[in-house]
Amino acid sequence: MIGYGRSTLRPYIFSMRRLTPFLAVPAFLLVAILLSIAIGSVFIPPADLGRILAGWLEGAALAEPLKTFAFILLSIRMPRTALVALTGAALGGSGAAYQGLFRNPLADPYLIGVASGAGLGAVLAMSFHWPYSTLGLLAVPAAAFLGALATVFLVYALARVGKTLPTTNLILAGVAFSSFASALTSFLMLRSTGELQQAIAWLLGGATQAGWGPVLTVLPYLAIGLGVLVLSGHALNLLQFGDEQAQQLGLPVARTRTLILLAASLSTAAAVAFSGVIGFIGLIVPHVMRLWFGPDYRRLLPLSILGGAGALLVADVIARSVLAPQELPVGIVTALAGAPFFLWILRRSKNQGYW
Amino acid sequence: MLKIENLSVSYGPRRVLRDVSLEVASGEVLALIGPNGAGKSTLVRAASGVLAPCSGTVRTNGDDLLALPPARRARFLAVVPQALSLPLAFTVWETVLMGRTPYLNFLGQASTGDGAIVRQALERVDALGLAGRRVGELSGGEQQRVLLARALAQSTPILLADEPTAHLDLQHQVHLMETLRTLAHRDHLAVLVALHDLNLAARYADRVALLVAGELRAAGTPRAVLTPAFISEAYGLPVQVVAHPFADVPLVLPDTKED
Amino acid sequence: MSRKLAVALFVLILLAACGPAATPAPTSVPPSPTPSSVPASPTSPSISLTDGLGRSVTLAGPAQRVVSLAPSNTEILYAVGAGAQVVGRDTFSDYPAEAKSLADVGGSMGSYDTEAIVALHPDLVLAGEINTPDLVAALEKLGLTVYYLKNPATLEDMYANLATVGSLTGHAAQAADLVSSLKARVAAVDAAIAPLNSRPTVYYELDATDPTKPYTAGPGTFVDLLIQRAGGTNVGSGLTSAYAQISLEQLVVANPQVIILGDAAYGESAQTVAARAGWSALAAVQSGQIYPFDDNLVSRPGPRLVDGLEALAKLLHPGVLK
Repeated sequence: MIGYGRSTLRPYIFSMRRLTPFLAVPAFLLVAILLSIAIGSVFIPPADLGRILAGWLEGAALAEPLKTFAFILLSIRMPRTALVALTGAALGGSGAAYQGLFRNPLADPYLIGVASGAGLGAVLAMSFHWPYSTLGLLAVPAAAFLGALATVFLVYALARVGKTLPTTNLILAGVAFSSFASALTSFLMLRSTGELQQAIAWLLGGATQAGWGPVLTVLPYLAIGLGVLVLSGHALNLLQFGDEQAQQLGLPVARTRTLILLAASLSTAAAVAFSGVIGFIGLIVPHVMRLWFGPDYRRLLPLSILGGAGALLVADVIARSVLAPQELPVGIVTALAGAPFFLWILRRSKNQGYW
Repeated sequence: MLKIENLSVSYGPRRVLRDVSLEVASGEVLALIGPNGAGKSTLVRAASGVLAPCSGTVRTNGDDLLALPPARRARFLAVVPQALSLPLAFTVWETVLMGRTPYLNFLGQASTGDGAIVRQALERVDALGLAGRRVGELSGGEQQRVLLARALAQSTPILLADEPTAHLDLQHQVHLMETLRTLAHRDHLAVLVALHDLNLAARYADRVALLVAGELRAAGTPRAVLTPAFISEAYGLPVQVVAHPFADVPLVLPDTKED
Repeated sequence: MSRKLAVALFVLILLAACGPAATPAPTSVPPSPTPSSVPASPTSPSISLTDGLGRSVTLAGPAQRVVSLAPSNTEILYAVGAGAQVVGRDTFSDYPAEAKSLADVGGSMGSYDTEAIVALHPDLVLAGEINTPDLVAALEKLGLTVYYLKNPATLEDMYANLATVGSLTGHAAQAADLVSSLKARVAAVDAAIAPLNSRPTVYYELDATDPTKPYTAGPGTFVDLLIQRAGGTNVGSGLTSAYAQISLEQLVVANPQVIILGDAAYGESAQTVAARAGWSALAAVQSGQIYPFDDNLVSRPGPRLVDGLEALAKLLHPGVLK
């Protein structure tokens, strides 16, 4: 963005204010990452954290209890932090993209049924007894991922009219398929009661698999999906004027909307595969970013990605610590904390009523 | 120059435009008039490439506009839509800058040159002072001017406007039409403007085209088209056409008898 | 064209979903054979066994710091005399009472506190069928030794599990003694029941949130097995799944003579059952033979199953057992 020149124009965005979100939000994320690593059910005194860090830098071997603490940090907390951050990033980014794509403030990453498709895939996989092997352990996440993608293609195919992709059709097809998939999922859960608890826990959301494996598996999909979204900021801005005006301004609308839809859905599918269905992050984080930092999607997308990662990390820390050693499903925390927070934000920003 | 040849458009089974042929030369303002439902908006939309016709072509100096990809077409043809359901959170500056899209990369990065063009466009419509305001804070007339500025920022030789005066106050209607006329006469744009106000058409257009039920009934100078015969047949209302008291244009007046 | 493809995909998914639903995964009747215990040669102190997931588990010596992830495993550990070697247990382990004072490592909603488990430095984590293979893999990745004890299908399988846990913790002899005494008690019940002619029909209630469609124990469950062994006939043995729903109509036709309330812990009693609309038609309600029951005695696959057997026998044939 360039400046206006001096005199007559009232400068509306000082360069400091333009810079602020790109300082504030990454700082928030950094704090959230540190919190997530420092807090867990085993209390590690801050002094010990320092000593462990010093030990790592020097390459020295650590004595107990530092050795166990270091192990917990490296093998349990860091991979979990990474997975939660990636999940939150995916939800924030795709939430912002969906809101822009559908021009609807109520849109979230699950609008066209991705969550229900993933849930159906996961519960289907849970109905079978997989052999204890790498493939067997990947069965549920893979099924969830495939279920999510299959949903998107199904909904897309149902909603298409010739070469265009009418928004209303997409939403209707998405809602219809969601209901269908949810009903089928509930039916399956009722029939195979042994896996009922596992299915419920999965549907409520939360990191179930430990270690760096899930992180590395999910990373390429998110790199592609979120990468495409970040580059689609200008296109999303144009789409706010409606498909017709965007086309008249020179945007190849059908192709662009399909690309953004696929990228956002890919990111959501990867997020849901290992972390289940976590609500509110994809809905609220983009809104908060919009209310604080304006409607320009070129900024909104990266900010929502970073903010989503930070917000989910904070929710996960709460989910882990509030009732230790019990762990609340993180989806419950995001719902309980998210809704009132959002209402507070709405009340505060009177003059910025437009989104 | 804009050449519409034998354009036919259907909404499903319903034929909305039948075999319409029109030409707008560079440097002239063509006013498209006709009753509601005649197909004026449809014609503008089809000419701008957002509505696929069942037959016919839209050309400019030899290029088939409908065959071009949207990004290239947007360098030839800009549209001023009605100011309905605009995104309210963007500022005026940001909105007008969108008009530079055909010349920006996909990230939408603008140069100082683009900024200068946006300034010029805003000055043209007398909206430079609004640049920092959010679109949602503006009145209908101001929003319409912003849309015109956006189309101007697109720097195209052809300008289409779809009933831009529809919700404007008198002074804004006049100002907008004067701007369109200057754009044509001074900057040699080809301007096609759909209007519902016959007398605005008479006053500011070089040529007028009358569209009724999807067909072109008449095209020519205002004096030639705005006749009692054509107008009362088109609108189903007896009218009289008199000489404008101080301008050399016709004036259309409804001629209903008092009971 | 793509619309037809979409509809075809819909139908395929529908069929796929009905497939596994039609044959529900039986959790109480594992199809694979009982876990094989291959004790190491007597001279070497290391212990090497194959667990219920088919994994080979090796310990350098008897486990001294055990974390139990299932209430049944906790009960088994204490029963074979390894109670002093248990350092942590899941939230739901409440028997024996000493177990409650151990460190809690989670377990509600299937999520365990891996940090707490790691911090306890266990040399053996005893998992059960209520734990997912995901969890076993995750704990393995953290460098812990995990033994997955598969649910037994018969009392013999349960004795084998006792022996396994005895081997893992260096209490093989004590486990063998326990198994002998349990077998003796079961034989006593068999002997007392054999000459009897009457085999009362029994309805064992698991959940009656909806009294017109309550849940009972179906075939393949220990409840079903123990009721038979205790000289009764389980109303649910003709149903299709382990956790089976039975309608009040079917119950009226079956007309059980005895009602055993496995959900007594959730507030059900003879009075609440008698008050249910339509239940007064049952013989058990009319004769007042409605008994509360500690479901843990028949649902946790450990040594207390024999306690459950004896309790059932006493309810169904009062006075026959000493």
